[in-house]
Amino acid sequence: MGGRQYNEEEKMSIQHRRPLGVCRQALLPALAVIALAWVGVANAQSAAQRAVDAAKKICSGKTITIVWEAGLQSLDPLNFSGPKWEQLTGCKVKVVEVPTAEMFTKIMQEYRAGTGAYDALNVIPAWMPDLVQAGALEMLDPYVDKYGYRSELQSIAPTYRDNQMTVNGKIYAFPDDGDVFVMYYRKDLFARDDLKKAFKARHGYDLAVPKTWKEFDDIGAFLTEALKKEGIYGASSFREPGYGNFMFQERFRNEGGKFFDANMKATINSPAGVKVFSDWVKENKFMPPGVEKFGFVENLATFLQGHAAMTISWPPYGRFAAGYLANEKALDWVPKSRIAGKVGYALPPGGHPELAAGFALSVASTSKQKEQAYLFIQWLNSEEISSQRVKLPYALRDPFRDSHFTDPAYMKLWPDAKEYLAALQAGSKTGLLDLSLIQTDKYEEALRQGISRLWAGEDPKRILDDIARQWDETTRRVGVEKQKAVYNAWAAKSGAYPK
Amino acid sequence: MTASQADLVLRAGARPGGGRHDRRFKYALVAPSIFVLLLIGVFPLVYLLVVSFQNITMTDMDKTFQGLLNYRLLVQDTRMWEALLHTVIFTAVALPIELLLGLAMAQLFIDRLPGRQVFIALLVLPVVVSPIVAGATWSLMFNTRFGPINQIIGWFAGEEVNILWTINPSLVYPAILAAEIWQWTPFMFLLLLAALSGVDKSQLEAAAIDGAGYWRSFFKLVLPAIWPVMAVAILIRGLDLFRLFDIVWALTKGGPGTMTETISIFAYVKGFQQFETSYTAAVALMIIVLLTVVVLLALKRVQLAR
Repeated sequence: MGGRQYNEEEKMSIQHRRPLGVCRQALLPALAVIALAWVGVANAQSAAQRAVDAAKKICSGKTITIVWEAGLQSLDPLNFSGPKWEQLTGCKVKVVEVPTAEMFTKIMQEYRAGTGAYDALNVIPAWMPDLVQAGALEMLDPYVDKYGYRSELQSIAPTYRDNQMTVNGKIYAFPDDGDVFVMYYRKDLFARDDLKKAFKARHGYDLAVPKTWKEFDDIGAFLTEALKKEGIYGASSFREPGYGNFMFQERFRNEGGKFFDANMKATINSPAGVKVFSDWVKENKFMPPGVEKFGFVENLATFLQGHAAMTISWPPYGRFAAGYLANEKALDWVPKSRIAGKVGYALPPGGHPELAAGFALSVASTSKQKEQAYLFIQWLNSEEISSQRVKLPYALRDPFRDSHFTDPAYMKLWPDAKEYLAALQAGSKTGLLDLSLIQTDKYEEALRQGISRLWAGEDPKRILDDIARQWDETTRRVGVEKQKAVYNAWAAKSGAYPK
Repeated sequence: MTASQADLVLRAGARPGGGRHDRRFKYALVAPSIFVLLLIGVFPLVYLLVVSFQNITMTDMDKTFQGLLNYRLLVQDTRMWEALLHTVIFTAVALPIELLLGLAMAQLFIDRLPGRQVFIALLVLPVVVSPIVAGATWSLMFNTRFGPINQIIGWFAGEEVNILWTINPSLVYPAILAAEIWQWTPFMFLLLLAALSGVDKSQLEAAAIDGAGYWRSFFKLVLPAIWPVMAVAILIRGLDLFRLFDIVWALTKGGPGTMTETISIFAYVKGFQQFETSYTAAVALMIIVLLTVVVLLALKRVQLAR
């Protein structure tokens, strides 16, 4: 805070000066000091409190509607943040639950209909170019400045802040979910002397958490061979096409792949892509039967029941595996963890995990209560409230602010929580963004279909050539130069490709 | 009121020179319903036609006239034609099986059997289940690792089996058809049971006395008697199958690749995931035209329009 400081002599001199002009001279600095002090007090007030105070004036007695992912995610506004916001401001929150796969469709449909049915939105950051280009999202910069939120946005972890908040330099959403893939492994199995000895004898290096996909394959195959009789496979993984899409994007780039060349021609069918697809098929042999259909729940059940030594998934796996609040009623459906205390956390092989999906909070451009909606999302996303929300056992919101990763209260939630948070933070620093272009879903759809064809037994190269052909066709239809500009902007981001 | 009474009433109400007035009054009475019908039936169709000549996409609300652009794309779109072919395959296979199974079950239950009512109630249950729920249930049934089907086969095989019902190209069609037939055969069964109940027993008895065998009685007496109901059932199910979406979506989402993608799934993906609005309008219009032609031909064939 600036402002001129006066010594005692100057003050006395000012007091004895006459006439009115001199008084004005004295008054102006005093007023400036008062104004600055007032701003200081205002800034000292948290962003959450500012949102509450403003909402009390303009939102009390009203209802805002927010789109939220159906299931556990929406228990946050239903059980925690919604009632709390109403209690603090008198403003009700109506939650519209939508399955992830339909969120984009619903948001776009509502935007096209223009009914103003949605006020605030949860959006997946990779959709933002499409939604912004269509005009569905409200630019948030004026509100951020009006309600003094810019400084608190700076404490969001850089990967999310720099890559999942803006489109063309303008703020359209607040990153609100630190989704990152983490490798979970069974510490107890990796520490077993008999396995360590046998592995070293066969492969010539120590049994340890794999840092490369070659090591992952060696260890996975070895552990399956050694432990299958005990009902344990070396690894399990997402293979269902919707999830496989994220896994492919991560691994392809860790293997050195680029999605497009300088002329915007798809290069997904490069040797890196073929290697990923070919390796996947080989790896399925040491994974549980039916892994080709494994999505979030199947993979979770396999790991929590102790049937897999390694897996890669989103952060909630770590909390569930640790048995964090396993008696929570909302988590009844989660198989009881048989591996609590036995799970270690690491970055997936290659060291650059996918920042898969994630959620950001936004305001619908068609909302009739934009300011009210904005205040709610500022409050949700604020340092104070978000630190409470990421600790909710059922809500699936993962740490995304620097302070979340070092939160002493979080570290006490279970014995290994500190290591867990460290893995999440490491992942946020080296993580890779989902591909985000105009009509992203068309590109992803071709990839998803390609993955399902892979499991049906088709040749990897042939599938990838076909995906590349479809990508080129989509690019041609969008406009090569137009898409190239969007891709180049995306590729220039810190999390686009491994540095 | 008999026809002659109604005629008398009408004549009594008629006034000299009042014909035109009456006609206007009648038109005024039916006008609101005609208006509503036009609003909900014809307007969307016209709007669809208009949109199909524009180029509205996710990012561009281009409402300028684009001529036959979308129709040209449609003709060249092999994925769309494949989806149409898959739909025809599903219809061509499932419809006769559902019909025959439904008829066989109806024949079985036409006789008085112990516990008949209970069995009928149980058999009809799949029809009351929402198709998407049926699809999700069958998806669990076919789950490779946790599904009961593989587990039961595994018990017989004496080892864990890994049959990829919804992935393996040679199994994916049978899997979808099994779910579809399971859900909708009871619909055929119900309609045909009702139709069979209406067959004149005395004619069957007379035929039996005259020495007609079972099949002869069936083809010469029963089938003609139940044909109007059967034709309607075939038409309803045929149209339903052409719109097949939920079960396929829940089981395979049209995969592997686009191997089981139906025309409805194709239209959904294009229209509501990728927001190719104008192109999807062209697809929808093509489906409407195609179905209208098929239905008209079918109606003419089964002579129901009379």
